[in-house]
Formats: sequence, C-alpha cells, structure tokens
Amino acid sequence: MYCNERPPEPSEKKELWRKINDMARANSLWVTAYGTGCGAIELRPLRTSRFDMERFGIAMRPTPRQADVLIISGYLSVKTLKRVIRVYEQIQDPKYIVALGSCTINGGMYFDSYNTLNVLDRYLPVDVYVMGCMPRPEAIIDGFSLLMRKIKEGRAEGWKHYQKNLDYYRENQKAIITDWEMPDYNW
Amino acid sequence: MIDRVMKELEGRFSSLELVREMHNYLHVYLDRGEVMEAILNARTLLGFRTLQLISVVDRMEENRFQLTWILENYTDSLVLLVSADYPRENCSVPSLSAVWPAASAFERELFEMYGVSFPGNPREGEDFILEGWKEIPPMRRDFDTEEYSMRVYGERQPRKHTDPRQYIGEIVGEWKTPMGRMRGEEE
Repeated sequence: MYCNERPPEPSEKKELWRKINDMARANSLWVTAYGTGCGAIELRPLRTSRFDMERFGIAMRPTPRQADVLIISGYLSVKTLKRVIRVYEQIQDPKYIVALGSCTINGGMYFDSYNTLNVLDRYLPVDVYVMGCMPRPEAIIDGFSLLMRKIKEGRAEGWKHYQKNLDYYRENQKAIITDWEMPDYNW
Repeated sequence: MIDRVMKELEGRFSSLELVREMHNYLHVYLDRGEVMEAILNARTLLGFRTLQLISVVDRMEENRFQLTWILENYTDSLVLLVSADYPRENCSVPSLSAVWPAASAFERELFEMYGVSFPGNPREGEDFILEGWKEIPPMRRDFDTEEYSMRVYGERQPRKHTDPRQYIGEIVGEWKTPMGRMRGEEE
C-alpha cells in the first residue's frame, strides 16, 4: 500500500530554465503552518500588518503538500521530530528548512534536557539558521531574504543532500526515535 | 478561617504535624495511613472541593518521596497542602481519580516522571509525554540528565563564555561594575 521506493534523483535542467524556476520559487515561498516550538509565537506577528510578510510573497499554507518551506521554530523534542519527519517528507520537491533560535544550532537553553535534540543538522538538512531566542520578526524576514538569495544563486540544496544521504539521516533519526511506526519514506 | 480548619484536622488525626500556617494557607504533614481520610474529609466537610495539583519531592538523602496534595477552597479563599512520605522503591499510592477525574492526569505524569504507581487510575501505565522511554524515570535525582543528553543526542559546540571583569580588566586595568563600586568593594 505504501510506495517503498527511494526518492528519485532530481533531473538537471538547462541554465536559463533553472534560473527562471529559481526566481519564481524565491519570490513566492509558501510556508507550512506548523509551529513546532516556542518560536511559533514570533510567526504570528509576521503575518499581520506591522511586519507584513505577504509583500515578499510568503504565505502560510495548512498542508505540507502545498508548501515549500518548513520552519523549525526553536527546540525540537523527540516526539515532535517524529511528526516533523513525516511532514517534511510529504512536502514536494524542492523544499527548504529554516531553523529559528539557538536550540537548533547547539542545543541552546535546553542542551542538557533528556527530551530535546542538540544539533538539528544531524536529523534534517537545514538551509538557513536564524539566531536569537526567539528571533524578532525583522530577523526572521532577514533570514528569509538570505534564503531567497540562496535559492536564486542555486545554493539552497538541502533537499538534494537529504535524498542522496538518506541512510545517514535515517541512522541518526532511528537512533533516537525508538518506536518508528512510519514507512521507510513518507511519500 | 484557617484556624477552624486546623482545629478540625488536629482533632481527628493524631499524627498531624504543622509545616507552615499563614493567613489563608495551611501545610500539614500526615502519616501514610491517615492522609487519604484527611483529604476526603477536607473535601466533604471543610469545603476544599478543588484539587489543584499532586506533586512529589524526591528526598534522596532520606530515601523517601514526599507526596503533596494541594487542595483549594474557592468559597472561602483557602489553600490546604497535605503531605505524606512514601518509600522510593515500588511506591504505590491510592488513586483519587474516582473522586476527582482530573487527578488521573497528575497521577499519570508522576508515574512517568518518578515511578510512583497509583493503582485505581483508569489510564495507568500509558505514556504521558515520553514515547518509548527506556531509562529510569527522568525526574528522579539520581538520573544524570546532562550525561544522557550528551550520550544520546551527541556532543555539541557550546558558546564561548567570557567573564566581563577579566576581559575588560585586560584592556582597562582594574575594572569593577558600577554596583560593585556602590557596594564599596575594596579598591
């Protein structure tokens, strides 16, 4: 019932077509409306009129199937990581991850907690880190501008790294998630 | 008001010890055999209809758990804390979830975090927050949470810390904070 194959290799496109594609993607990044941690409280002012993010083309979408970006806002507990993996793998290519806060970089305030991860990069490929605890909405907009620059230059390749090194990521993920009741790849 | 409560409890229970009494707050210590009767008496006869919390203090040096039931009387604005001692190994406490349905959530949390079992709880043994937890209950004081975090979630690069006194002292010479000068620390 589940598709048991690995994700396929992305096909290479011509230079001009790739540039047009990347520019179109960068100017209309749609974000999955999933607040994983304490940073979600800074995402709500982003949508309202003071720090408007719709002027950059960024909108919140309810399902991962319609989104490009997943924002990991803050600490990630093991229980949430299991659900975030499912959501991330259901986003269609190309996809990007923006990690907010210091807990994703090196554990932050909860570095000695029995329930939260220390380094997010071992479990999911991160494109942009935004510093702060929590970063202000202006800092998050700055992070999104960096992501848009990276996409236009063709450097935001976290999803390709994930597909090529799926074994490395799965090994790290299964080391901490002991009750893995999901298929091998969540299409 | 609180004197009346104290007199009633003193009259009925011989093993009562006073911990703290304030204007509308009473904390008493009881024997393990009398504590359930005292709680139900407080509920029916003295008007303490609300169970606020069930909490545990892990007194590892004296090899006991101190369980505290926090009851509140909203008609007269009174708070009553009832504490009792239980052993640390194979701890088994009667459950109050037949009287207060919310008590079942507190008791599930204590079972997961400390290992205190409450026979009679309808959802005893279910996971509360942690999924697939294999070590000893994590809130106990003999659980080394930093060691667990470093072992399972891996080493991390911490932030470099600089002591301001030392750092600025190297540049300026002897440097004291303004508060230090005000408090008259020696030159």
